Amino acid sequence: MASTVISQGITIEGELTTEDDVVIEGTLRGKLVSKDTVKVETGAVVEADIAASSLSVGGQITGNVTATDRVDLMAGARLIGDVKAARLTIADGASFKGNVDMDV
Amino acid sequence: MARSSSTSHGETAVLGKGTHLRGRIAGDGDLRVEGTVSGDVALKGHLTVDDGAEITADVQARSVVVAGAVEGDISAVEAVAIRSGARVSGAIRGASISIEEGATVNGRIDADFELPPELGGKGGR
Amino acid sequence: MADVTVIGQGIFLRGSIRGDGDVEIRGRIEGDVEVAGEVTIGEAALVKADIQARRIVVRGAVAGNLTGEDGVRLEEGARVVGDLRGAGIGIAEGALLHGNVQTGTGGAERGRARQATREARQPARVEPRKTPAVAAKGNSSPRKEKAAEERPAPPPPVVPVLKKGSRAALRKRSR
Repeated sequence: MASTVISQGITIEGELTTEDDVVIEGTLRGKLVSKDTVKVETGAVVEADIAASSLSVGGQITGNVTATDRVDLMAGARLIGDVKAARLTIADGASFKGNVDMDV
Repeated sequence: MARSSSTSHGETAVLGKGTHLRGRIAGDGDLRVEGTVSGDVALKGHLTVDDGAEITADVQARSVVVAGAVEGDISAVEAVAIRSGARVSGAIRGASISIEEGATVNGRIDADFELPPELGGKGGR
Repeated sequence: MADVTVIGQGIFLRGSIRGDGDVEIRGRIEGDVEVAGEVTIGEAALVKADIQARRIVVRGAVAGNLTGEDGVRLEEGARVVGDLRGAGIGIAEGALLHGNVQTGTGGAERGRARQATREARQPARVEPRKTPAVAAKGNSSPRKEKAAEERPAPPPPVVPVLKKGSRAALRKRSR
């Protein structure tokens, strides 16, 4: 159960810094730094750089993404930005445009 | 496939205890703040400010319950409830406003009503 | 409870009420109230007065500032236009207020820069209660209505007589 949930009808603009795990179903514009996991769900729209322990993407992200552990792009995900992570998976059906650095 | 169960539109958003937002929140649906926010909040749904949470900015929602701290104006279409232990500094407007004893409140309160004409108001109740 | 002054529902009082005991207002008042005890304002009451007391409980309509040392409580049915000051301030669901609230006796919390109006409030309306002089009289005023027959009461201070409809008679009333 996530501790921070940005649900579907909510838009957050700004810098979000947290120790919680985060689930985004709504809209986030700005910057997100989490010490824990971040999930961008289908339908979510993120225009922000994200730093997390691990990131799972089903929705849309425009921004650079950094994970200390792993980044997973699901089918239907759209990521436009660079990825820096120890591990990365891109499912069939995901869209991705950017650079990948796995040299964490 | 790591899709978590999808949540229906209107489920409560939560800003957890360990979360700090420097920025604004807007939207439909309800929000519960457990962490800290410095930036305006404008919601069509309910806003709950938990004990321990802090909002430094103006907030606007359909209804508001404050158990934590709000430094800013609070504006609701329906009810505002300030719980014991809450700290509010700013103007409060709502159709009805209740304040539990033990709350610390400093500011102007404006509930939605008129005094009876004998006391100079425009209406009875 | 022998010490309560009751201003009945049919009364319209213009003047001030001062004293040591408790006061229950069920009628209509225009003036000011300053007592050492507790002031209760009933549901049908219409009060146009500043009130200063040890504790204030409101269920009716008030236009005036309320200062209760131990606390001010607005119950359901209360409609108040005025400021509330007191140690503990409670506003129940169903109670309605237009005015400033400052909890804690005179303690100003951190304020926001743009709440300048809030800081500018609190003029010297809160006078020290003239309790020493009144106390010396030994509960004269609050008991007046009920105890007129019992005691050859010491001359009341400014309190007009609590008699239905006889505003003019106030001044002339016996000492």
